[in-house]
Order: sequence, then structure tokens, then C-alpha cells
Amino acid sequence: MLDLSRKRLLSLAGACLFSLPLTTWAAPQQAVLYTTNNDSAVQAVLDSAKQLAPQLKVGVVTGSSAALLKRIDAEAAAAKADVFWSSQPNTLGAFTTLYQPYQSSHSAAIDPAWQQPDNLWSASNIQVVVMMVNRKQLQGLNEPRRWKDLLDPVWKGRIIVADPSATSTAYTALWGLSQLLGAEDFAALARNLVVSRNSSAVLNAVAQGEYSIGLTFESNAYAYVAGGQKEISLVYPSDGTFVTQEALALIKNGPNPEAGRALVDLLLARDTQVALLQEAYRRPSRSDIEVSAHANLPNLADIKVFPTDDEQAVRERERFLSTWKDLPKGL
Amino acid sequence: MKRSFLPSIWTLLSLLALALLAVFLLWPLLNLLGTSLALSGDGQSGWAQLIDDPKYLRALGNTLLLGAAVTLCASVLGVSLAYVTARFDFPGKPWVAILPLCTLVVPEVIVSQTWLMILGNNGVLTLWLDQHLRLRLPSFYGWPGLVLVMSLVYYTYIYLGTLAAIRGFDVQLEEAAQSLGTAPGHARLQVMLPLIMPAVLASALLVFTLVVGNFAIATLLGGRVQLLSVLTYLSFISEMGTNPALQSSLASVSIAIVAGVLFLQRYLVGRKRYELVQGRSAPSRKLRGVPGLLLGAAIGGFILLSSLPLLTVLVSAFTESRGPVMQWGSFSLQNLSRVLLRSPEPILNTLLYGCIATLISLVLSVLISYLVIKKKNLLTPLIDYIAMLPMAMSGTVLGIALVMTFNTGWLALSGSAAIMVLVFVIRRFPFGVRSASSTLYNIPNSIEEASISLGVAPLRSFIKVVLPLMAPAIAAAAVLTWTTIVAELSASLVVYSAGRETITIQVFRLIETGLQGQAAAYGLILVLMTLVPVLFCSLVLRIKVF
Repeated sequence: MLDLSRKRLLSLAGACLFSLPLTTWAAPQQAVLYTTNNDSAVQAVLDSAKQLAPQLKVGVVTGSSAALLKRIDAEAAAAKADVFWSSQPNTLGAFTTLYQPYQSSHSAAIDPAWQQPDNLWSASNIQVVVMMVNRKQLQGLNEPRRWKDLLDPVWKGRIIVADPSATSTAYTALWGLSQLLGAEDFAALARNLVVSRNSSAVLNAVAQGEYSIGLTFESNAYAYVAGGQKEISLVYPSDGTFVTQEALALIKNGPNPEAGRALVDLLLARDTQVALLQEAYRRPSRSDIEVSAHANLPNLADIKVFPTDDEQAVRERERFLSTWKDLPKGL
Repeated sequence: MKRSFLPSIWTLLSLLALALLAVFLLWPLLNLLGTSLALSGDGQSGWAQLIDDPKYLRALGNTLLLGAAVTLCASVLGVSLAYVTARFDFPGKPWVAILPLCTLVVPEVIVSQTWLMILGNNGVLTLWLDQHLRLRLPSFYGWPGLVLVMSLVYYTYIYLGTLAAIRGFDVQLEEAAQSLGTAPGHARLQVMLPLIMPAVLASALLVFTLVVGNFAIATLLGGRVQLLSVLTYLSFISEMGTNPALQSSLASVSIAIVAGVLFLQRYLVGRKRYELVQGRSAPSRKLRGVPGLLLGAAIGGFILLSSLPLLTVLVSAFTESRGPVMQWGSFSLQNLSRVLLRSPEPILNTLLYGCIATLISLVLSVLISYLVIKKKNLLTPLIDYIAMLPMAMSGTVLGIALVMTFNTGWLALSGSAAIMVLVFVIRRFPFGVRSASSTLYNIPNSIEEASISLGVAPLRSFIKVVLPLMAPAIAAAAVLTWTTIVAELSASLVVYSAGRETITIQVFRLIETGLQGQAAAYGLILVLMTLVPVLFCSLVLRIKVF
């Protein structure tokens, strides 16, 4: 029992010391990225950084858009983030004082329709709202084709959507639906919906069969189709779906302004956007990339879009959320 | 002999220990309780918000119910397994020894994920039963999943506690009872049960507190069942940067529950005292033939069930994945190479913070237990009490208390590596104190006194005489502390900032986004980081860790 000689203890201690990773203390050009994007997307950007900007080290904090923006707001006195990537303008618009206007050299490649007039943010990709359907969990029901099909009470408790006050994905989908369906039908839809706390829970819940249908963005849902999970399908409703941009913003008084600008440039670079399309199925905001050439996704021209006004969505945010809060849900 | 009027080295060290505990433990805790009572900006205190919304009261009820259910199931499993292994020999018995390892080294997030893969709505078994037997299982999310997975994770604590008690039980007492005319079964119940009861009760209450504080399993499997730990974390997330009123009230509730349980334990265990003078433990009876085989098969099945998560980690880590979808049956090194070559930061962070925190924890726990047991003074009972406080705080609660206190002010640690280390040390050093204390009780004071009376200074005597005697216990405590530190999730998840992710945080994030393959690769590395020291300690140094 007591044969633990001093020599042995010393060599143990030595081994411990040598295993300390000293390299973590050295930091070349560090930028801090607060992101709502999933790990596939983050990984695509980090891989792209190794190619395009090898000196740039990116620290990543993930979370839902509301949590991250609130955190940036709380840290405003001593900002800890350099770049926020990404959210829809309807959510970004509520925090305009947090961003540093910046026009990237890449902005010329982005469709002018998507550009913010004051360069407060830059469009990073285009998002399309879809129904993510788990066909194994339909249990004899027909796959819905239109939003209106979801009003049927048979779907009660079987459709999942994230909390619109916490994630911009859900806000875009639900606000759009409230415009498309009108108050009465929207209330009927709400009675069937179950609300999860974040977007990734929606994807997991449908993929693992906890729910039949999830309301989410094409890019996140398509990852399961691309990965080969056969029972998952994407429905682009024939009564029109909602399209929005996701945008990134440079944070005002970020700790590493130069690295922050380099990170924005990196995120908008053509190679990064192609990588994001291939790896994370993000529809690029740049007009010089042919979507169908890189991923098995329909062209935007082939999708029926129900037009919504982003500015109106920002203006009516509070009112919508308070109505939403009082609507009975499917739980 | 001339005595100086300077305070002795031990008094100074007591003051130092007390100061450290006061700043890093007592202050955050009081700050948390204080914040919960203070009024927030809109004139509503956290308690008012808590009582207003029936959700929180329901969550409190659910948490207590879950704690009771899991404690009951885990006790039945743990006690029967311990009894059977201590009293019988059956084919395959040596394998039972690996059980604690199987369940304790795998991160809880991965355990939950494994059971979802088997019994979730898309699970292998669920689909098979549905297709072949037309049997539709109830949803695994919610009560079924919570109770099953937590029981399978936590029975180990009861098994280990009960096993030690049964082994320490003096079989002559049972024989005496029998020779006095009591029937064998009855004798066992009347004599053995009261003697092992304190151990069972102590480990059962430990399990109860662990269930109340559990975050990882609760958040992944809870489904629509609201639980206190999950709501506390969510209120922390949503109150980030605003008034932390609600989270501190919720945290206070969970502290109150655990404190109540610890008080109950002291009361129950303290009431009945049995001391075994010299024990001869019962020989284990050989079971041959059908009973032996049946028992062996039952236990074997149970071991397989317990080690399923470990097997899943192993298989998933080497399975190719395309985005969130696993390509079962095609193997590759893609996950491991991605994790090791492209993003090794969580691994390096875990090693760095884990090593530093283990060292600090060890020094602190040896010092505190030595002061409390061998150098009693006015301060040491206070130190003893404060040092046990982290036991009453779940990880989420501790994390919130530390973030709240060290966010700004003269000691702003938030966002630094120091707060990660701090959170690990505070959360885990009580384990070290307990383990060091049990050894110190067995070291007679006379040895050290002899050294001092021969003219060796007190501190030097401690280092030269007591420490070497404690070395095996310290080594065991080091491994145990290390193991529990690298597996820590709930507290570090609250305090971490960009670039300071540990393996468990990264696994949690990956599982949440559905990237199982990479999560398993990190999980495998974590398993290795725990297993290697444990095996080194038990096989090379021949020190019992568990």
C-alpha cells in the first residue's frame, strides 16, 4: 500500500506538468464570434478561415439570437464580441445601437435588395421557411401541402415551432403565417402548435420522431435529408412561404476591431459562402453563386413566396408577441 | 520551553482557509440569497414572480417527485445488486467490478442520447416493437425517460455504498441471532438491515440531491415535464444582462431542498449508532447449476444495460456521419480526426483547467481536513461547515452564484479561465475533504507528536510524517477529483465564455445541434481521460479508487 515512493510521486507530478497545453496562452489575431448558427456552419467558416485568413483565430459562442443580442447589449460597456452572425433584420432591428456600420469589400456581390441602407448589417444568406416533416410519424395522415392543411385539429400537439420571442426563425415563420392566414385561422393554427425553447430543439424533435412536423428554415432541415435520413422531407407550402435574409453585424467597440472586420470579410467571401452552401446548406446572399450547382435545393425562382415586409415585422414585433403569448397552444 | 506570542502556523492557516472559503463560497452564496430577496427593476421580487406563475410550483413538485421516484428505483437496483454480489458467487461475477466505471465515466448527455436512440420515438427498440408486435411504447420524453435513465446512472452510488456496508458487516451477529432461535431469513432482516441502513440511507439521500440538481439528463429527456434545474438554467439565460431576480430565487429553492435533505440525513443517521468492533465478513455462497446461471444471466444482462452508453460512445465515435445523420455500419476516423486535428481546443482546455483545479482542490482539501480533524481550534468547526456547503448547491446554482458575484467589482473574473478553474475547485473539493478526512481519522496523533517532541517543526512534521501516510489516500482522491472535474457540466456551462469550452460543454452543444458523431468522438476522449488515471491508480499503484 505504502510503496508510493517519492520518486514515483515526482515523476507523476512531472508528467502532469508536461501535459499542460502551453500553446493555448498564445493568441495571434483573435476575433470573438457570437453566432446562432449550428456547428456544421461554424465548422465550415472555421475551415474556410484556415484557407483564406490563416492568421485569424475565431472564438465562438453559440446561442439563440435573442439571448446573444441581449448579452451583447448587457456587455455594451465592455464589449466582448466582435461579430454577431446571424439573425433576421426583424430581430436585428430592435438593437440598432449595438452595431458598427461597416461596408465590406464583398458587398458589391450582394443583391442591392438585401442591403441595409446604413450598412449596419450585411446579408449573409437567404432563408426560406419550410415544413420539416417526419413521414414515419404521420401515422396514416397525408403529408400537408399548404399552410392551411395544418389548421386541422388532428395535428394538435404534433407540430413544433420554436419560441418566437427567443428565436428569429420562429418569429419569421409565425409572423409571416399571421399575415398569410389572418387572425382567426392563425389562432386555429396556434391551437395545434407546441413551442420549444430553441430552433435546434425543433430539428432534433422532428428528426428523432418526437413530433411529426417542425416549422423551421430550409437550411437546417435539409441537413437531415442530405445526410440520408429517408423519412424526413421538406415541404415548401403551395400557398406561399416566407423568405428573409440572415444578416451579420460588426459589434460597436468590439475588443478586436481589426480582426472583427477581417471576420466579416471572411464570412462574406465567395469561397466561404460556397462552403456554407455545401456543408450547411445556407443559400448564399451573393448573387454570383448558382445554388443548384452546389446543393440539391430548389432555385428561389421555383419557390412560391408570400411577400412580407421586414420593416413592418420589426414595427409590429411587440404587438405580435403579446397577442401570441395569449393564444392557446397545442400543449 | 519558551512559547512565543505569535499565533501558531495552524491558526494562520485556519485563517487563510476561512478567508478563501468566505470569499469564494460564502460571499457568492449570500449574494445569491440576497439578490433573490431584493426587488427587481419593475418592483417585483424573484419570489413574487415565482409564486405568480404556476409553472414554477409545478416544477418544484415534479422535481421532488422525480427525486423520490429515482431514489426508490436506484435503491432497489443498487441494494439488490450489492447484496447479491457480496453474498453469492456466480458465473461472471468479476465483471460486476467494472460496473461503476461503465456508468461513471460516460457523460450524462451521451447516456441520455443513447437511450433516445434505443427507446426514443425513432429508437431501434421502439420501431422494432411497433413493426413486429404492433406494440406502441409511450413517448420516452418525460417521466419514462427521466426515471429510467437517472435510475441507471445513479444506482451505482447506492451499490457502492451498500456493498461497503455489507462487506463490513460481521456475520457472527447473524449467526448469533440464528443460534438464539431466529429463522435465517428473519435473522438477516433484523440484524443486517439496521446495520447497513445508515449506508443505504446516506447514499440514497445523496442520489436524491443529485437528481434534484441534475441538469444534463433533465434538459435532454424532460420533454414537457418542467423541472427546477432546467427552469433555473433557462431563467439564467433569459435574464442574462438584466436583473437576476428569478434565477436567484429558483436557485435558493433548490438550495433549500438539498439543505433540508442533508439535515434529514444528519437526523436519521445520527439517531441510531451501531459500531462494529471486529468484523468477519460473510463468506460468499457459491451458486452452481441453474440458479447460478440464472443469476449470472440476470446480472450479465444488467451489466450490458449499464454499459450500453459506453458501447454507443465507442461505436458512434468511429461511425461516419453526414451532417446530423449517422451512417450506421460504415466506419471512419472522420469524427476523431475532426475533433483531434481541427478543434482540439475543448480537449486542451479540459486538460489545463482540470489539472490546475485538481491540484488546487487537493491542496485545499488536505489542508482543510487536517485542520478540522487534527488541529481543532475555534475556527475549524466553522471551516468544516462552510466546506460542506457546495454539497448543497447544484452545479447550475453554484455557477449562477459565482457569475453573479464575480461579474464585476474588485474581483471581476467572468469570462476568464480563472472562473472555470474556480468553479471546478469549489464544486469538487468537498469530495477530497471527505476522502482525506476518512484517512486522517485512522492516523494516530502520537506519530506526529513524537516527531514534534523530537524537535521537528510542526509544519515540517506534517509534511515529513503525516503526508507520506496519507499519500495513497491523496492519490485516490486526486483521481476521483480529476474524474468528477472533467465530467462537470452544469456549473461550467453557466460560467464559460468564448474559447473556454471544455469537452462536456462541447458534447452538450453538439448533441443539442444533433451532431452525434462528433459528440461521441469528444465523449470517447473524455472516457479515455478518466479511465487512464483510474486504471493507472488501481492497476499500477494498487490503490482502490471507488
